[in-house]
Amino acid sequence: MQSNLQPTEMPYSRAVHGLAVTLTLAVFPLIWVGGLVTTYDAGMAVPDWPNTYGYNMFAYPATTWLFGPFDLLVEHSHRLLGTVAGLLSIGLVAAAWFYDGRNWFKIWAMFVLMAVIAQGALGGFRVLLDQRSFAMIHGCTGPLFFAIATATAVMSSRWWLSRSAGQTQAQFTSRGATRLAAALLVASYCQLIVGAQLRHITAAVDHRVFMAFVHTHLTLAGLVVILAICTSAVTGLDRRTPARVRFPAILIALLVLVQISLGIATWIVNYSLPWQELSEWLAGYTISAKGYWESIIVTAHMATGSLIISLATVTALRAWRSRASVVAKEVNRKWKQQLA
Amino acid sequence: MLSDRMRSTTSPITRFSRLLLVAIAGCCAISGCDVPITSFQPNRIYVARMEKSQKADLQSALADTQAALEDLFGTPDEPLWPKFSENEADLANLVQLERLQQASGAVRSDEADRHFGLYREHCVQCHGISGDGLGPTSRFLNPYPRDFRLGKFKFKSTPIGQRPTRADLHRVLVDGLKGTSMPSFRLLKDEELEVLVDYVIFLSVRGQVERQMITDAALELDYEAGDRLYDRANRETNPELFKAQLDRVTKIAADAAKQWLKAQEAVTVVPEPPTDFPLYVDVQSLSAPDQEKLQASIARGRKLFQGPIANCASCHGATAMGDGQTNNYDAWTKDWTEGIDLLNKDDLRPFLKLGALKPRVILPRNLRTGVYRGGSEPHELYLRIVNGIDGSPMPATAMQPSNPQGLTESDVWDLVNFLLNLPNEAISKDASIAVAQRSDN
Repeated sequence: MQSNLQPTEMPYSRAVHGLAVTLTLAVFPLIWVGGLVTTYDAGMAVPDWPNTYGYNMFAYPATTWLFGPFDLLVEHSHRLLGTVAGLLSIGLVAAAWFYDGRNWFKIWAMFVLMAVIAQGALGGFRVLLDQRSFAMIHGCTGPLFFAIATATAVMSSRWWLSRSAGQTQAQFTSRGATRLAAALLVASYCQLIVGAQLRHITAAVDHRVFMAFVHTHLTLAGLVVILAICTSAVTGLDRRTPARVRFPAILIALLVLVQISLGIATWIVNYSLPWQELSEWLAGYTISAKGYWESIIVTAHMATGSLIISLATVTALRAWRSRASVVAKEVNRKWKQQLA
Repeated sequence: MLSDRMRSTTSPITRFSRLLLVAIAGCCAISGCDVPITSFQPNRIYVARMEKSQKADLQSALADTQAALEDLFGTPDEPLWPKFSENEADLANLVQLERLQQASGAVRSDEADRHFGLYREHCVQCHGISGDGLGPTSRFLNPYPRDFRLGKFKFKSTPIGQRPTRADLHRVLVDGLKGTSMPSFRLLKDEELEVLVDYVIFLSVRGQVERQMITDAALELDYEAGDRLYDRANRETNPELFKAQLDRVTKIAADAAKQWLKAQEAVTVVPEPPTDFPLYVDVQSLSAPDQEKLQASIARGRKLFQGPIANCASCHGATAMGDGQTNNYDAWTKDWTEGIDLLNKDDLRPFLKLGALKPRVILPRNLRTGVYRGGSEPHELYLRIVNGIDGSPMPATAMQPSNPQGLTESDVWDLVNFLLNLPNEAISKDASIAVAQRSDN
């Protein structure tokens, strides 16, 4: 299938893409450690910010950081990892400025930097004001920044640039699949917001409100499962869909299954099941408050949620990109004509 | 084309961002995130129960009660311990104010790994800020979290009606309760556990004082005629009356605290098993004659289990699977449902609106799982049989010599052996014996 339009050349920059990918990879452990901060209630383990117990963050004695209280280790590590993300974002802006020809991408890179600064500031306000609501918002915007970093990596990739307007393409993503991927992204993010409510619940909350959040979380989990299965089925069964859309879509479906298991495990290690005597193991299980496995499971549930959002971002963006090309539209139109 | 594309992508992103901010703000508003916790929640359910039974308006009394409690016990951020008279030093030392302060307030820790706000860090989500067992998660838990305000605790070394000892509370914190939502806090430092024990006692005493004041207001005072439990304004206008009111409330607090002091004296001492009496512990290492004695003990225990004195089978079922009587409620539910038709939704609704948890029947333990929430050591089972389980329908067994028809200590050890052997034997054995006994009767 050939188009009459000539492809527009988009310069690919290894530096920009490399930094964007590194930023994305750096944010994931940052989210893990941030999750541990919540799991261990370590948000106020360091009472000042941006200093750490009066020290410049980078000059804080390593012995106390690494061999002192565990809460301090987690909180201070989270801050240091945050600065790594900040530095990578600065590098990204510089690289985009010098090596990326797209003006909008330069602005986007600035936006990424602003977002990481805002995220850090939110974390700082949480500490300075000792406000759990800031912790909750910080917990919601963390995965959002992960999605932004992922989007940056996708939009700076060679594949993205090669799908420039007018370039000949043999494969494309259907409108339905694109919409499904976008819906999956929105649903999984809403799910994360509700999950953050459950994680940061305070004593001021009535048990009826908590119940409403639990029911919403379960309903959204069902919706995410359906959307993940549909997206992977629609993209997987349609051979016209590029592999770069199909692969993350299928990966999401598998991750969602892992996430459901982690969700059930999270409930058990937090609250046990209301029907313990269904099994001998449950009847004899004693939850260990802040135990190793309990903490890992709960934090993994949160981190996997963020990973699903990141992958949904990849899928949605790639689907949109492979659908938006003029040629793809043309192919789609002709395909429909043939079917008719 | 590129700019067109940008326009078409920016717009949904902006819309999504706005939606997102609204969603997060909405969630914050609904969840009450960071609503300051300035006071303990009043026991409105008990007030409603007393208003219903006494046909009185106790809202003014409730306000007085809260004022008195705040003056005596402080707030969730700044707890106080009542100032008892000088000759009641033991009451003053029942809990340490420093520990209460460490348990209360917001969660934080310092460079020396000292944790503050321990109650909010570990307990509040289930037990609630005032220890009412109505924390945000309570609705989903089975059994419901303990309401400390009645002063009843299930697994302890003291008889029904007595408070637990500090060691009892400490043990529950360290071991947790198997198969329930009560975790083990064995990873906490010992001094942190002591802080939590102090705070639980504090909440329990505070809750008992609150209940007693509401009871007094309902039964002894006439608010319509101008009686007052406690009036802060009197501090300036009528100091003598204020002192009398304060003394009255302090006496109620002293009475509640004394019950905790008595706990140590009320501990049931578990006797050693008779000499030559093998216990069901490390069975494989027992000699052949001891094995025979153990089997004989188990057989006697089975008979007692099914028999009329211990009468365990009536609730736990003939097969000990917890399928006997299954329509009873625990004391915390009965506390507010007394006189209410539990099948009548109109009767229940006002209490549920106040936050009461839907009544749920308490099921007898399935003894065949070998899982006992109060511990499965022989001496712990002995205590459960002799003392019963406070707040649950599990009664204390009648014992000799106070009751000539009751069990002997040796009988109790036989029951313990029978219980410990239960997970290892076939159900049909018990069923056939139960059928045989019924036909004998």
